[in-house]
Amino acid sequence: MTKPYEPLKQDGLEIEPIVCARCGFCTFVCPAYLDTLWDSQSPRGKIFQLADLIKNNKPIPADFAARIFNCTLCGACQEICQTNIPLLRFWQRVRQEIGNLEEWPEIVNYIDTSIQETQNIMEMDQEDRNLWTDMVDDLVEDRIGIKAEVAYFAGCNISFKGTLAHMGENTIKIMHAAGVDFTILGEEEYCCGNPYFVAGGFDKGIELAKHNLQKMKELGVKTVVFNCPGCHRSFSEEYPHLLGKEATEGLEFLPFSEFVLRLLNEGKIKFIKNYPHVVAWHDPCELGRHQNIYNPAREVLNAIPGIQVREMKHNRNKARCCGGGGLLKGTNPMMSVRISGRRVEEATKTGAEIMSSECPSCTMSLKDGIEHIESDMKFKDLSQIVVEALGL
Amino acid sequence: MLRNEHLQKLADIVGEDFFSSAEYMNQLYSHDISALPGIVNDLINPHAEAVAQPTTSEIVSNLLKYCKENNIQVIPRGHGTSGYGGALPTKGGLVVDMTRMNEIYDIDKGSMTIQVGAGIIWGRLIEFLEDEGLSVAAYPSSAPSCTVGGWVAAGGCGIGSTKYGGIREQVVEMEVVLPDGEIISTIKPIDEVFKDDKPEPFFKGDKKFYWESEVGSENNEESTSMFIDSNGTLGIITKVVLSIIPIRKIKPMTISFPNKEQTMGAMQAILRITRPFYLHFITDEFFGMLKELDKAPDVAGEWLVLCALEGTEEENNEFAEKITKAIAMYHGTVESEEIGHHEWDERFYPMRVKRLGPSVAPSEVYVPLERMVDFIDHCNKHFKGERMAMEGAVNHRNEVAVLTWFLDDERRRIPFMFGWYRSLDVINIGIKKGGRAYSIGMWNVAHSRQFYGKEDYTKMAKLKKRTDSKSYLNSHKVFPGPLYLSTRIGLLIMLAAAIAVLIAIMVAWWIVPSILTAYVPWVVVNDPATFLLWAIVGVGVGFAVQEFANLIPISVVLSMGTPFLRLGRKIFH
Repeated sequence: MTKPYEPLKQDGLEIEPIVCARCGFCTFVCPAYLDTLWDSQSPRGKIFQLADLIKNNKPIPADFAARIFNCTLCGACQEICQTNIPLLRFWQRVRQEIGNLEEWPEIVNYIDTSIQETQNIMEMDQEDRNLWTDMVDDLVEDRIGIKAEVAYFAGCNISFKGTLAHMGENTIKIMHAAGVDFTILGEEEYCCGNPYFVAGGFDKGIELAKHNLQKMKELGVKTVVFNCPGCHRSFSEEYPHLLGKEATEGLEFLPFSEFVLRLLNEGKIKFIKNYPHVVAWHDPCELGRHQNIYNPAREVLNAIPGIQVREMKHNRNKARCCGGGGLLKGTNPMMSVRISGRRVEEATKTGAEIMSSECPSCTMSLKDGIEHIESDMKFKDLSQIVVEALGL
Repeated sequence: MLRNEHLQKLADIVGEDFFSSAEYMNQLYSHDISALPGIVNDLINPHAEAVAQPTTSEIVSNLLKYCKENNIQVIPRGHGTSGYGGALPTKGGLVVDMTRMNEIYDIDKGSMTIQVGAGIIWGRLIEFLEDEGLSVAAYPSSAPSCTVGGWVAAGGCGIGSTKYGGIREQVVEMEVVLPDGEIISTIKPIDEVFKDDKPEPFFKGDKKFYWESEVGSENNEESTSMFIDSNGTLGIITKVVLSIIPIRKIKPMTISFPNKEQTMGAMQAILRITRPFYLHFITDEFFGMLKELDKAPDVAGEWLVLCALEGTEEENNEFAEKITKAIAMYHGTVESEEIGHHEWDERFYPMRVKRLGPSVAPSEVYVPLERMVDFIDHCNKHFKGERMAMEGAVNHRNEVAVLTWFLDDERRRIPFMFGWYRSLDVINIGIKKGGRAYSIGMWNVAHSRQFYGKEDYTKMAKLKKRTDSKSYLNSHKVFPGPLYLSTRIGLLIMLAAAIAVLIAIMVAWWIVPSILTAYVPWVVVNDPATFLLWAIVGVGVGFAVQEFANLIPISVVLSMGTPFLRLGRKIFH
């Protein structure tokens, strides 16, 4: 049994509720607050309540624990904070504390059990990891587990959710067209651990991190490509945090857009088709605010002939969340879909006909949002636009 | 104390989803931006009993009628971003959180006005107007979270005020719900508004709550002005009509200076050339703190002035050139454009230095620009040994709204408590230098009469008496109100009195036994029965003392307590 608030104390974060200026800047950028307009759902309100609990060494009550998970971990609060509180890590550590109190929401416990038993979040057999490759079978059948400098890490969502499989297929098609010598881990690809990191179960992610990195190194991989910003952030930020910087030395982690941009710059691919559409770009939080990666996707889109890229009112570091982060889709699906709907409304105001992003979670959420508000907006993942513009 | 039937009725009026009486929620709506020392919490006892979020003016009206009828305290609240205690509950009651009334009702490009719900935040309003090529002329530095109604009620100046004035100069009209539930439009002369027969108010609310206002028709001033700065004591602001301006280019210049004399001299010189949109300075000590935080730009001098010009590109360049020439004699250095934009982007972040505290004791006061050097010297001497960050923004009357931040640590409870005097002393020093309080709220009630002017204050007091004689609407703000000691401190006083009586008797028998024997031989503590008896007497005395203390106005306690706090701080700092 750990001491109360030990996770926060580990990072010296127990002082942050006092550092909070209570200015409330975080409230009007917080998707959960904007959904309810109650301060109890805002970062300011939650920190205020935590200050009292930490001061008196009292445990987090169950109802408050549930409210802590009403959060997409989008990081907008951290971005606007007057006193530079590292709120993303703070919320992760608070969730860890909730885990220590065995108060995790049901969905987190389900994911935990699933990963422990099957190494993926879907509770499916690892043998089914390659189901997503059905449509590009001929391109990957001799690529599974081979030695290569470039690896594609599909992640659980793309691997097991049929509606997202096209993202993996598109990436494979692009790699093939560019003549990239690549490998995929197949059954040896384990969950990246992101659900654990989001829920504050850091220790439980250690074995997954070790396994994935070891497999990469065994195959002589130097560059890992991701469609999922969550997986990408796990490798590039959480793994070094958990295992030390040396654990990822010699490995380069590229989000899809950066990888495609590199291929474009090296002349390995070229957009040949006119793409006469107006596209509104949505920055995934885990790529944008969390890792400060904003430009590659815009550069890729702007390289496509005929396309018009529109920015939403809130873009880049001020981009609003799609509603799918922080496990909110599992813990509070109704709040999640309302947040998604609001983001779609913002995209509609740009006059765009297509909304695009590069994240499986954003893809699912924004499609749900379109349905929820019965919008005419179409959603196309970046990989889909790239494949169409390449004529693949 | 709200009973279950009250809670149920209030929830019925406002709607179940927009009402809460959960304890954690009450706590969240019982504070503002300031961290209060523990003892102040005990003296003021800021604990709401329920929170309501009305969605229409009619609901506000019904809430007020019900609360007045049932003598329930009502505390209007924007988003709690001020620090003057204006939104703090003092006797329990219902917090009316206005953030759900956040509509944009009408934009009139002919008269250049916009009508909005009082609960909309400035940030959202600015974003909305931006799409129309428009802007508000002035907004608070807390624009990302401050509500329009909140700033109107608290008053003050902000970004844009050097050129366009404070919030008072921006408000054209308001819709206000008076304490008796009547909804009025303030643009009409107040005598029309308060006549019983004509004209009809917009809405008289639910018939079962409605009764005629007994207000006469003596006032003849336009009432818009009266409700600004009034901290929601005269009524709850539900809608505001603001004047708006076309968006024009902003050219921010950051100019650094070697000392305060040059800084203040240069600021006056700038104002002789033009009226910038925003003219703001930070002291060298503030700069040093930003440096510690790695947030300070790389500049020549440590006194920084942000001068944001507003106009066409040609106008801005012309004035920038003139300013550059004029400040040369003050040894000013115009820093790079990049630094200019950095400082402009930082205009919303005056509280960065709080990280160094981790707490701060803030204060704000208006000081005439020509007395600033004197004021800074006085503060430096008066607060020697304290870490004080100071900044200031010039308003349209050439007053500087000076904001000071004293670094502190609220975990060190005793020094933090005594340190509260600094916030009060900054205001006193400012007033000595010809300044005035920045906003009244609860903490500056002692300055009310001077702040509003005798004539206006009398009018406000009359209106308050007529519409809210029991002061159920935002009591203790603007108009003095008595203490409302917490149960904890009440019990402490009674316990202390019991002990004091027992000790006094025993000491008296030890010092002057002959007098006691001669006159009051029955005053004795020599067995358990007499011990108990006199302890009970002591508790009674404590109870009387506590009741008497509850009659003392907070402003008197603050005035009397300041010297003790000052002394205590010197001892415990």
